[in-house]
Amino acid sequence: MRTPVTAPEHVAGEAAGAQRPPRRLPFWVDQRLGLLVLTVALAALFGVLRPAFLDQRLVLFPLLREISTLTVVALAQLAVLSVGHMNLAVGRMAAFGALFAGLGYDRLHLPLQLGLLVCLFAGAVIGGLTGWIIARTGVSSFVVTLAMDFALMGLVSLLYSALTENAAFTTRPSGLLDLRSASLADICVGRVCGSPAVPQMAQFTVLALVGLGFLYTRTRMGRELLLTGANPKAAELSGIPTGRRVILAHSLSGLLAALAGFMAAVSTGTFRASIGDDFMLPSFLGAVLGGTLLTGGVVCVVGALLGTSLVAVIRKGLDLLGVGLESLNIYLGCVLLLALSADRVRAVVSYRKVVRST
Amino acid sequence: MITINEYGARTSAALRRFSRSTTTTLLCVTLGGYLALGIASSGEFFQGPSVRTFLQYLATPVLIGLAQMVALCVGQLNLAVGALGGCTACLMGVLMADGGVPAPIAVAAGVLTAMLVGLVTGVFIVATRINGFIVTLGVMTILLGAQYRLAGTRTVDGYSPALKELGRAAPLNVPLVFLTALAVAGLLAVFLYRATAGRRLLAAGGNPLAARLSGISTDRQIVLAHTLSGLLVGVAAVTATASLPGVNRSVGGDWLLPSFAAPIIGGVGLSGGSVAVFGTVLAAFVMRLIDAARAQFSLDPSWVNFLIGLVVLGTVVGGRVHQTHLEKRGKAHGRTPPAPAGRGPTADATLPNAGGGQ
Repeated sequence: MRTPVTAPEHVAGEAAGAQRPPRRLPFWVDQRLGLLVLTVALAALFGVLRPAFLDQRLVLFPLLREISTLTVVALAQLAVLSVGHMNLAVGRMAAFGALFAGLGYDRLHLPLQLGLLVCLFAGAVIGGLTGWIIARTGVSSFVVTLAMDFALMGLVSLLYSALTENAAFTTRPSGLLDLRSASLADICVGRVCGSPAVPQMAQFTVLALVGLGFLYTRTRMGRELLLTGANPKAAELSGIPTGRRVILAHSLSGLLAALAGFMAAVSTGTFRASIGDDFMLPSFLGAVLGGTLLTGGVVCVVGALLGTSLVAVIRKGLDLLGVGLESLNIYLGCVLLLALSADRVRAVVSYRKVVRST
Repeated sequence: MITINEYGARTSAALRRFSRSTTTTLLCVTLGGYLALGIASSGEFFQGPSVRTFLQYLATPVLIGLAQMVALCVGQLNLAVGALGGCTACLMGVLMADGGVPAPIAVAAGVLTAMLVGLVTGVFIVATRINGFIVTLGVMTILLGAQYRLAGTRTVDGYSPALKELGRAAPLNVPLVFLTALAVAGLLAVFLYRATAGRRLLAAGGNPLAARLSGISTDRQIVLAHTLSGLLVGVAAVTATASLPGVNRSVGGDWLLPSFAAPIIGGVGLSGGSVAVFGTVLAAFVMRLIDAARAQFSLDPSWVNFLIGLVVLGTVVGGRVHQTHLEKRGKAHGRTPPAPAGRGPTADATLPNAGGGQ
């Protein structure tokens, strides 16, 4: 599902059928395959070293729940990266959305689904506002989202301390606890159709993945988003309302961030201001490791899932191996830098090969 | 605010007027705010101890703002500012408290380490051609881990009393650390505005292609900028270690956003090629004023972030509006708009095309 804007998939497919186009890189350059193999291999390695790693209820379930949440965070970043922008305020937008969900449950006693809708709406609005400021003024998205991050950080904590007594909404609508701990085995007929390791919350992630994948590969709107990211001027000249696409990308990002905030709140059970504090790093890690370019125009929706999984597996595995919390970040940073430089080396080598062979 | 285009050109007079106006605005805001605060506190704010505390905690924000500014002037971002500062501060604290290293050697070692980390970051960016944003993100993660490993959960405070004495020393109620920060700012200004190496740095940031064609190695400038940024962060860590009662793993945690806010409010563009040493210092002053006002009226600390966010947003949007206004007026009178530089390129800005679609 990696979709560079320059090569529409069906065209590339037809060409490949007749004669392999020379500029096509060999399959082992594909970043996603490498990621998948690496993730599975690492999971197997950790499983052999520490059989506890494969414990479905105690290890895999929370691990998959974390992956589900962080994948949505990475998708929120991916949505803005597709137009060549950045969203430094993902974490705060998540907190902002969760605030409204919590408020709805606490004050209006909304049912679970309605609260989620309110949360998504709030996220989309704040994202849209950010996008509007960027599109209208032409100021760099980095600066605007940075300022947004500051402003929301203050605003959310102010609202929490104004609206609640101990800075958290603890009212839980019916169904929230189920959503938190239910796995596929609970809603299906036991072991017949689902493993107890897959959390029910993964449904949101699958929905987001499918939705974004459809948007970027199949719809005109998605193509226009990518074109806006690849070359804003060319997009503008070909009649794409780039301003509106920028706003769309940012409100999509806000919506996904709010969804991630809701999921994080459900996993912890309370709606508090600290939700999303640590979202910024994973959002870039997942998206960039997955093959989405920071410069815009190329996204890889499945890559976001794979990149996030790799990071989460490494984190959990090292944790189980007894590597202290303090060293975990050191290894993660090294993995990020190594993975990206390896990717770079691979791309250069394969490019040379292709050039030589033609 | 200085850009390379202005150098020696006839437009320099017009540009200087413009740059003066930006700085003057900030100066007026600073003085006005200070006076207002003084009056609101019925004069207490002008007295020795208050001035002293005010300036004491101004040193670090000024220095980290300058560190970020140096990275911005070649079009790079340095996300590792906070982590590097915290890590260096902890390194110095641990060396002195646990290693029994004399203070001067520990300080020198800390500053050198910070500089070295900057150098390595720069070399890595140039060698692998990975986006500087991602590389510094990785370095930030590694340094956060290193800092946690060094300090653990304790607070290191058993270090050299002489250094603490020096940090608290304030001849004529002007703290020594603040004077250090001012001296560093002065040296940096001389380097950037007068030295050949500084001009090269700006040239490489303003227009990499033109710089390369005129025989300036942009790669070397990027390495230099990151090294210099690391050095400034090292000095900031020294001032923090000297003026704080002790160092722990939360030092530097809240440096990243202010480090961006100061140069941006001060009028530095994200696209590179422009610097504003005085503007950055003034912007740090303004942010400190907001903090002081918060303390004066005993408001929730969240107000500070909220207000700083609004100020940053207001500055960039206002600057952009001003620029379009000038352009329109220039067109109406049938002459070229006043200055090629200033806020305009600032806003068009970019990380590789992070600008807004218009």
